[in-house]
Amino acid sequence: MRTLARALLVALAGAALVVALAVGPAAGQEQKKKVVFTVGDTQDLDNPNPLVGINVPAFELWNLQYATLTDKAAKDFATEPGLASSWEGSADKRTWTYHLRPNLKWSDGKPLTSADVAFTINRARRESWLNYTSTVQNLTATAPDPRTVVIHSSVADPKLPTMDSYILPQHIWDKLGKSAITKYAATDGVGSGPFTLEHVEKGQFFRMKANPSYWKGRPRVDEFVFRKFNNADAMVAALRRGELDAVENVPDGAFKQLSKDPKMQTIQGLQGGFDELALNAGAGLKKPHPALLDPRVRQAIAHSVDKKTIVSRVLDGLGVPATTMSPSANPDWRPQIPPGQQYDFDLAKANQILDAAGYKDTDGDGIREMPGGGRPLRLRYAVRSDSPRGGPIAQFVTGNLRKIGIATTQKVYNDDQLTELIGKGDYDLFVWGWTPFVDPDPMLSYFTCSQVSSDPKDPTNYFNDASWCDHTYDRLYQQQKVELNPERRRSIVDQMLTRFYRSAVYNVLYYEGDLQAYRKDRFTGFIRQPAKTGPVLFTNSSQSYANLKPVTATASSGGGSGSGAIIAIAVVVVALLVGGGFWLTRRRTAYERE
Amino acid sequence: MSARFVCGKVLASLATLAFVVVFNFFLFRVVESDPVASLFRGRNLTAQQRDTLTRQFGLDGSKGRQFVRYLEQTARLNLGRSYATNEPVASEIRRKAPPTIALVGISTLLSAVIGIFIGVVAAWRRGSKVDYASTTFTMATYSMPDFWLGMLLLTTFAVALGWFPVSGITDPTSDATGPAKLADQAWHMFLPALTLTLAYLGEYALVMRSSLLDTMREDYLVLARAKGLRDVVVRNRHAVPNALLPVVTLIAINFGFVLSGAIAVETIFSWPGLGLATYDALNGPDLPMLQGLFLVFSVAVIACNLVADLLYAYLDPRVRSA
Repeated sequence: MRTLARALLVALAGAALVVALAVGPAAGQEQKKKVVFTVGDTQDLDNPNPLVGINVPAFELWNLQYATLTDKAAKDFATEPGLASSWEGSADKRTWTYHLRPNLKWSDGKPLTSADVAFTINRARRESWLNYTSTVQNLTATAPDPRTVVIHSSVADPKLPTMDSYILPQHIWDKLGKSAITKYAATDGVGSGPFTLEHVEKGQFFRMKANPSYWKGRPRVDEFVFRKFNNADAMVAALRRGELDAVENVPDGAFKQLSKDPKMQTIQGLQGGFDELALNAGAGLKKPHPALLDPRVRQAIAHSVDKKTIVSRVLDGLGVPATTMSPSANPDWRPQIPPGQQYDFDLAKANQILDAAGYKDTDGDGIREMPGGGRPLRLRYAVRSDSPRGGPIAQFVTGNLRKIGIATTQKVYNDDQLTELIGKGDYDLFVWGWTPFVDPDPMLSYFTCSQVSSDPKDPTNYFNDASWCDHTYDRLYQQQKVELNPERRRSIVDQMLTRFYRSAVYNVLYYEGDLQAYRKDRFTGFIRQPAKTGPVLFTNSSQSYANLKPVTATASSGGGSGSGAIIAIAVVVVALLVGGGFWLTRRRTAYERE
Repeated sequence: MSARFVCGKVLASLATLAFVVVFNFFLFRVVESDPVASLFRGRNLTAQQRDTLTRQFGLDGSKGRQFVRYLEQTARLNLGRSYATNEPVASEIRRKAPPTIALVGISTLLSAVIGIFIGVVAAWRRGSKVDYASTTFTMATYSMPDFWLGMLLLTTFAVALGWFPVSGITDPTSDATGPAKLADQAWHMFLPALTLTLAYLGEYALVMRSSLLDTMREDYLVLARAKGLRDVVVRNRHAVPNALLPVVTLIAINFGFVLSGAIAVETIFSWPGLGLATYDALNGPDLPMLQGLFLVFSVAVIACNLVADLLYAYLDPRVRSA
């Protein structure tokens, strides 16, 4: 009996210890009622250093941590005052003087002055900082007084006065030398935006806290937590259970189900991203199948692509069938091609064009040959293995091509291999996509003659993956690059994109967006950018966060669902200990029993 | 155990290690890639930035020069920089090793202890209902793929019932430290550890059972019983220690493999260890990270095999003279 009593005492002590450990953290969590906004995503922050990181979550972090001289309106990306409340330009529009707001401070209390702005712009230009170069490469900044910044551009730049480079605190970043600055961990959390970085656990989450020094005022949300999930289904389950308030990159199937849930708001946020069927136009290192050099063949191929079916069957309806390439997140930059001049899906017309151009099937095998009965029209189709859509889209595209007498041989490549293949010119057709910036210049530049792969020793140094070279397009590109009148610039870009469309080297299949979802019962104040069609999170200037307020008083995310588990573990431990004690007792009496 | 024997085993392991180091370099160069082009597609890079990034990733120079640089760096334990995060691979691995070692260590311990116990009971009461029940149970869990088991536990206990968290190692909103933080981590570790334990205990149970069945036929056990020792004492003090030999070496070898094989379980539970790091690196492909991880796993397996060899020789004198 003594042994049994001893065993029971040990069991009780063990259970008490386990329960105490469990109750301890739970009690600690309930002391402060912080307003926490938690977002889940399947992509991770790669590096919090704005000179190194390139992933979408990294840009979200910087949008929240670093205020910019000018902001972008959520409605249509129009330039709005940011850190600078006003500005004026010189007569030639190459020099702009910005006036900073009074009493600007960094989150650590130090004053934010024009010296910080000048430091950022000048050093970014001198050292070619990765995410800054396209904005600052021709700019020089001076700071005549603490609240005035003068920026001078050596060339006419239609982007000015927009100045949306992340302004960094000089007192933190100036201490780092040229090689140290790209190795800097950047977890200091000193910023000027609505939130500043508090803690990063790489591969798991990062946490930001509200910045009381933000020039628009401290946000209503106290903390923003970004959580990385490997398992998209677990992420959606966490949203349903209330562990998350919003989710990015919702899987297609879950998106449809969440759309039916009255507690959830689903968003298909378009930011100009698109996928296209690209053809080799022949200006690269190797020529494609000779048929592709004939614009009539390209037009026939364009008429054979059934975009509506691809969107409904491959994307499950979660996309918009496209016409032209979109050079900007702002849909206003897309030209309107008159309906009579579009390459509609029309197999009869495609066959007609090819017949009229002399590509007949002379040997009756269903595949057309070059005019005069030469090489059969068999094209090489490169399928992207890194995209889950690659295979399904290939089936629809090549199936219809067969119906107009064009055969294809498909080969599968991962992105690295495909990039090199295109650079070497060893391709005819492939499907890939782009996501443009807000200013159309970068996207337009990718299709100039200079961007065609031209060095066999460096085959991946290119952007022009259609190998298309059109000198009129190039001339127009140079014109829009220095055209300061917005209407004239838009008209030039319209001409360029119409020309590009007519060449039929790019068949833009669909515009595709971010699939997002948020709980309607937690926070209100989400802002779409651009208005009506854009996403609410991971947008160009991330305006939602500073605008959010809780729907009810208790909006802190729950972590207390563990009490059930703790009790379960306690029960198991007690059972084990009691069982162990019992077993010990039996050992003692085994001698008598045997 | 003679010094010659030990030296022989150690030298053989070092030779294997040298081969692995060289093979490691060429294995990951078979994959032709230009990470600068694929990572920065659609970004405005100047020629100068391209050159800087190419140098940063160590991709300048001929393959021969890259190989020599690789050997020099590996000797100094510099495993390069990750393509994805630009952090040194060695420090990433150092950071991610403790969660894996904790998870795998605890799971191996539990599965070994429970597996051995089940195996012993099953062998000792051979033919009884206990034997059939336990053998069925262990065969069932052993044949279940660990990722399937993990998904099942995750969906039931974390997603449907909400008793355990769905991912990670800590609660991102809590600032807890000390014992409260340990309790939080233990709560997060429960399901992945349960998965690995269930998946591997079958192996130990079955091996223990068959080893003990062989031992039970030995004459010295008859003598022990004749001397009047209790059944339990005969089992625990004489039979089991001799039957443990194969299981002990199995544990040592398994530890090396499970360290790398927890990839599926870590990915399912988003456990931030080396397995998840491998999965993320494969998605890149983040070649320096894969190279570093492959090296670490190979070293672990080689080291554990060496320990198993030496341990077996220590425990069983018959092996030393062979």
